[in-house]
Amino acid sequence: MKFDKDSLYKLGKLSKIQIDESKLKSLSSDLGSIIEFIDRLKSIDTENVDPTSNSLDQSLVMREDIASDVNTANEILENAPQKELDFFSVPKVIE
Amino acid sequence: MISGWELVIGIEIHAQVKSKSKLFSSSSTEFGSGPNSQVSLVDAAMPGMLPVINKFCVEQAVRSGIGLNAQINKKSIFDRKNYFYQDLPQGYQISQFKDPIVGNGFIEIETDGQSKKVGIERLHLEQDAGKSLHDQDPNLTFVDLNRSGIALMEIVSMPDMKSPEEAVEYVKKVRSILRYLDTCDGNMEQGSLRADVNVSVNKPGDDLGTRCEIKNLNSFKYIHSAIIYEAKRQIKLIESGENIIQETRLYNIDSGETRSMRSKEDAHDYRYFPDPDLLPLILEDDWIKKIRSSIPELPDQKKERFIREYSLSEYDSSVIVSDKSTSDYYEKVVKDRNPKLVTTWVTSELFSVLNKKNLSIDESPISPNHLGELIDNIDSGKISSRQAKDIFEEMCETGESANNIINEKGLSQISDEGELEKLVDNVISSNAENVEKYKNGKDKLFGFFVGEAMKLSKGKANPKVLNELLKSKLNT
Repeated sequence: MKFDKDSLYKLGKLSKIQIDESKLKSLSSDLGSIIEFIDRLKSIDTENVDPTSNSLDQSLVMREDIASDVNTANEILENAPQKELDFFSVPKVIE
Repeated sequence: MISGWELVIGIEIHAQVKSKSKLFSSSSTEFGSGPNSQVSLVDAAMPGMLPVINKFCVEQAVRSGIGLNAQINKKSIFDRKNYFYQDLPQGYQISQFKDPIVGNGFIEIETDGQSKKVGIERLHLEQDAGKSLHDQDPNLTFVDLNRSGIALMEIVSMPDMKSPEEAVEYVKKVRSILRYLDTCDGNMEQGSLRADVNVSVNKPGDDLGTRCEIKNLNSFKYIHSAIIYEAKRQIKLIESGENIIQETRLYNIDSGETRSMRSKEDAHDYRYFPDPDLLPLILEDDWIKKIRSSIPELPDQKKERFIREYSLSEYDSSVIVSDKSTSDYYEKVVKDRNPKLVTTWVTSELFSVLNKKNLSIDESPISPNHLGELIDNIDSGKISSRQAKDIFEEMCETGESANNIINEKGLSQISDEGELEKLVDNVISSNAENVEKYKNGKDKLFGFFVGEAMKLSKGKANPKVLNELLKSKLNT
């Protein structure tokens, strides 16, 4: 199975990834084989299986409402490619 | 609203949960801190970080659901809503799609004295996004992630509203209920509660029209005027033979217009799927029961009780209960006091001062205790209503208690009969001539005696008692 060109462009657009014309063919076949692999799961009968059932048989573990992380700016911005006045800065986004 | 057309309105309210920490991380939620100072590694979506849900936020969602007369779902599931935006470091928002924590419910709203049910479709928990600042630099957008990951309750109504007034009443009522439940502070200016409004128009009897969504309205006034603008825009388009395109629009608070938000058009394919980092959320019956038993009296019940216990009118009761702080204030004052007097003083004198000074009741210059003390003095006849108004004004300016002002200025009214009798005797004996004239039929002189006695008392005599005394003395 191949991943068709339109789906590939749409996915690229949604993910803000530019897709080079020359990579189209290889990407299409790579993604296609990944999907083909995943699609094998479809052959399993899941008629009576809950979509979120899991082998742990347990519910979400909850934590208490305690605020503990403080003054994170330096640490958080350390890896930012670009920052201004404790803000992340990115190319202008126009709405 | 516009003759020949019907309006259909549905509303999504985003209400920030009043929690100390975020929905899936322990960063603080405090408003107004320095940029990016409340961002954990989870909120910044550092690789390998895992979300852990805040129990308090889950509890507030359940409380709110109960307050909205809604079904509580014992099993709910968190999904990833995928989209790419600079204020969403994860690349997806954790939300609830197919299986929300709260299902169908309803609330009652009132417009023009008519009450009406508005259906609630659902309430779900989700993360808020960060904040983008577009106006700080000509070429850059600044991003602050403090808000990123804060818990929101998205409350989705049925498309049951038919006018801008109903839409506003609906949002007011939901806000009021959440404030009573204390699950959201309802502060619209700070963005703790904001509304997305879906509007469509159609001719009576026709199918529903295509709707447009106006995003992020954070005041009742904007909700009202955005709906009117949008309805008129759609009608104009249809009447000139054009089609309405289903889209997201932004309301411009300066021009009062809505405009298309094209940037989001491609983003509608959210590719929802259950978040593999989060197991299903299962609620125990006992826990739900415990929450249910802790639900306080809500506005509708309180309104009925105030009418019953304090003989308030429908209208006064609605006004007082619509805001929780106001009803708390009222109830503090009315305790063991004359309800009629308290209602008058709260709804006319106090409200007009608050309006004039643009203050909320929490910022009232007069505390419930101080107002109560003033009313006690009126009720016991110690001061007249005229004096009370002056004292009230001074209380507003100085924050002093009524008793202090009364004592300081020697304002208290003399109601003691013995004391007033002495005054009256004094007036009668020193105006013998006029007393004669009065007894001979010149009864207009009565006012003169009242005036003399008042003068003697330095204006402090209780007019009612004084009148009675004078009458009985002069007529014997």
